[in-house]
Amino acid sequence: MSPATPATLTTGSRIDLPQGTLDLLILRTLALGPQHGWGVSERVQQMSRDVLCIQQGSLYPALHRLERRGWIKARWGTSDHNRRAKFYALTPKGHRALEAEQDVWRKLTAAVAEVLMAEGGRHA
Amino acid sequence: MLDDLRFRLRALLRGRQVNRELDDELGFHVDHEAEKLIAAGLGREEALRRARLAFGGLDQVKEECQEARGVHLAETLVQDIRYGLRTLRRAPGFACAALVTLACGIGANTAIFSLVYGVLLRPLPYTDPARLVVLNETTPRVGLVSVSYPNFLDWRAQSHSFTAMSAVTQVAFNLAGVSQPENIMGDAVSPGFLSMMGVRPIVGRDFTADEEKAGTPAVVVLSYDLWQSHFGGDPNVSGRTISLDGRPVTVVGVLPPDYLAIDKTDVIEPMGVWAAANPDSANSRGDRGDTVVVGRLAPGASIGQARAEMEGIAARLAQAYPAENSQCGVSLQAIRDVFVSDIRPAVLVLSGAVVCVLLIACANVANLLLMRGAGRDREIALRMALGASRGRVVRQLLAESLVLAGLGGLLGVAIAFWGIRGIVTLVPTGALPGASVSLNSVVLLFSAGVTILSTCLFGLVPARHAAKASARSALRDSGRSTTAANSRWRSLLVVAEVSLALMLLVGAGLMMKSLSRLLAVDAGFRPDHLLTLSMSLRTSKYQDDQTVSNFWHVVLDRVRALPGVQHAALGSVVPMTDNHDRTDITFEGMALPAAGTFPHPDVHVVSPEYVSTLGLSLLRGRTFTDADRHDAPRVAMVNARIARTFFDGDPVGRRFIFGHPSSKPPQWFTIVGVVGDTKLYGLANPSRLEVYVPFDQSIRSDMVLVTRSASDPAAETSAIRQAVASIDRDQPVFAVATMTDLVDRSVAARRVTFELLGWFSALALVLATVGIYGVMSYLVAQRTREIGIRVALGASRWEILQLVVTQGAAITGAGVATGVIASLGLTRLLAKLLYSVSAVDPGTFAGVALLLAAVAMIACYLPSRRLLRVEPTVALREE
Repeated sequence: MSPATPATLTTGSRIDLPQGTLDLLILRTLALGPQHGWGVSERVQQMSRDVLCIQQGSLYPALHRLERRGWIKARWGTSDHNRRAKFYALTPKGHRALEAEQDVWRKLTAAVAEVLMAEGGRHA
Repeated sequence: MLDDLRFRLRALLRGRQVNRELDDELGFHVDHEAEKLIAAGLGREEALRRARLAFGGLDQVKEECQEARGVHLAETLVQDIRYGLRTLRRAPGFACAALVTLACGIGANTAIFSLVYGVLLRPLPYTDPARLVVLNETTPRVGLVSVSYPNFLDWRAQSHSFTAMSAVTQVAFNLAGVSQPENIMGDAVSPGFLSMMGVRPIVGRDFTADEEKAGTPAVVVLSYDLWQSHFGGDPNVSGRTISLDGRPVTVVGVLPPDYLAIDKTDVIEPMGVWAAANPDSANSRGDRGDTVVVGRLAPGASIGQARAEMEGIAARLAQAYPAENSQCGVSLQAIRDVFVSDIRPAVLVLSGAVVCVLLIACANVANLLLMRGAGRDREIALRMALGASRGRVVRQLLAESLVLAGLGGLLGVAIAFWGIRGIVTLVPTGALPGASVSLNSVVLLFSAGVTILSTCLFGLVPARHAAKASARSALRDSGRSTTAANSRWRSLLVVAEVSLALMLLVGAGLMMKSLSRLLAVDAGFRPDHLLTLSMSLRTSKYQDDQTVSNFWHVVLDRVRALPGVQHAALGSVVPMTDNHDRTDITFEGMALPAAGTFPHPDVHVVSPEYVSTLGLSLLRGRTFTDADRHDAPRVAMVNARIARTFFDGDPVGRRFIFGHPSSKPPQWFTIVGVVGDTKLYGLANPSRLEVYVPFDQSIRSDMVLVTRSASDPAAETSAIRQAVASIDRDQPVFAVATMTDLVDRSVAARRVTFELLGWFSALALVLATVGIYGVMSYLVAQRTREIGIRVALGASRWEILQLVVTQGAAITGAGVATGVIASLGLTRLLAKLLYSVSAVDPGTFAGVALLLAAVAMIACYLPSRRLLRVEPTVALREE
């Protein structure tokens, strides 16, 4: 059930997401409050100062997958422009999952950074 | 988990709404994206276009969403099944061939499984039947024998491996006071028997512990059937008095309808009642009548432990009572084995056979699918080009196979329905005690399992193959590059089919040969035109020998006087009935054998005309005459085996006594004649030692009347019944059967096995032939162009025919070779069913291999003939 995002690729200044991080970003975004799909993708882009770009084709399958897992809940509401839109909100289970995933992510990046630093040290 | 399930269910049940919501959601996104682009200064059209583009394939995203929701599988399965039905309808020829093939395979398996279930698997109607054990005594010469009642009492007292142990003794009664006098069967049982088995009377009571002692009032519990047929299911039947053997007996209960005993049981009585009526059997240790012992293993005790304990007890008893128990051992069998021991090998062989049929059917259908797959390459390539994953294509093709198998399964169950009826009529009644063969829910579940299994068997290879091939050749022209792998698979499948068919044919051939040898066996008498009828004089009016003897003489006189009857005779034991009467004898002037090794012949008490009625051959001396009366010197005839074994062929004039020498004055029997051996226990069993004595010198109250008539012997039945009724209208005549029926019954298991194997192997032969034909047609079609070129270049047509037929012959040869090798290993499993035929009988193997090769070559040749007509120009233009 890993998301179908391609491996990390840099396209100009934007970075496609590495495998497995899409779920984390969605959960983090929704922790700020309920949001519809388009809003999620916009917010990620804004928060990352336009560095991260979510493949729209993989966003929705990810949302549906998270919903099935019970981490987020969907509800039909009205958007800012008075249109019917499907809003996703974090469930308590999702909150716990977010914390756990964040923890994993921090450890992972710290470890990766550690390795990279060590590599750099030897070259220096 | 629960959330997940609810979510999937909602998605599945309200799929349309979920789909609409998905459309709305994605539409919303695209609109927003477009508005953002418009705000950035793009035109509306261009903005919408880019927004959609950013999304990638909208349909693909939708599909991925559905997949993420997990409804995908079920939903697409329904889609695929609908699609599968449509494609089948478009190819009716293919569909018909595949359906019929599958239906035969699944039908045969369902029918035989119903037999397997009914005979071997169906739970016996007892509490925890796996803990029930049947015990017999054994002797080195006879094998299993009945248990002597005093020995049983010692077993029960001394053993610790059983929580309960009961003796079960076969009894029979004349039931009078009903329309026709009747002989009913039953068991005398130790009082704890029913509770040990977990059987409770549905009316009235079980026996009490006190009813084990001789002298207890006569009571019986009725079988459900007897209760229904003779007492109208009267719920107040308890306390009613019936007349058994002319004595009043009180009914105390009724057995449940599913009560199961090895032999037909109309009533059961407590052991105490039997012991009072049969004091000799109940008290003499050397008397082994008709008693078996059933025990329930104690918790924690295994049958092996119980056996070890019982063998110790038997050894102690043999030491304590050497005259009666010397060399007597004990046998323990699981109760299921007692019911099925004879039939198990046949059932297992048939199961193996139908599995082979199913495999052949699957191979054939797989072949059909591969052939079709070649034509569908383009369709599949197109689907994959449009974004279907390989897994998706495999799934779709498998779903089509499932549709095929499902329909085939339905058709197969219909075939099985009739097949089961056919099988049940093949099996003689009473041959399978406790079996109930029918199309029940367990059997249907099995059919469903077989259907799914065959889907995997015949569907998986072609589906994977198609997906792989298409991925490779994509939308390039014809999939010609794929055909090499394709035809390799097809050839392999045909090799498998041919070898499986050969195995079945060898099995059927061996059974046929053994059956024909068996039926050609000389039974020692002429079984045609003989009728047998049993009578048992048990009522009080036949207390003294003179009355009994008079009755038999009058019966013979009156029956002989009947116009249709040529000969009539009485015998205590007639061949083929499984009844027996054996005793030790001692020949005059011979070294005394050790205890337990005395000659132990079957004893026949017969009227003078017995030899001529049955058509036994008189080898030496004379038969009995009316002069061999009770006051005349005691005489006897022996069979050739005794003459050979003990007297170098000529025993006339020698003497013997029944039993062992004792202090009592010996009662000598002088041998006056020698007759041929008879196959007393069925055609397949070896003949034994036999002794005949005249019925006037050894009065018996149980006799079998045997008549020989000019025409159909069964037609005499009612005349004979009337003749007996005219002497004593309360005397039942029972077990009426023609001798040919009895002989048939003795070979029934083999005959049924042979007939079914014959059907299955014929089916296998047809299927395999069709398979070869199909592959050859395909090969020929594939090579038409090549052959056109060859012909154009000057090759002779015969050379070309040879080329193709050689290919077919190679496939056939490989199949026959593997089949022969596999059969050499497998026919050993048949050995138990074979009679005087080796399991690797070279004649059968060669014959079957030749037959199969011949049929296969015809199947190769027919499609190849087309090559002779190939016009090079046409063939070249075909591309």
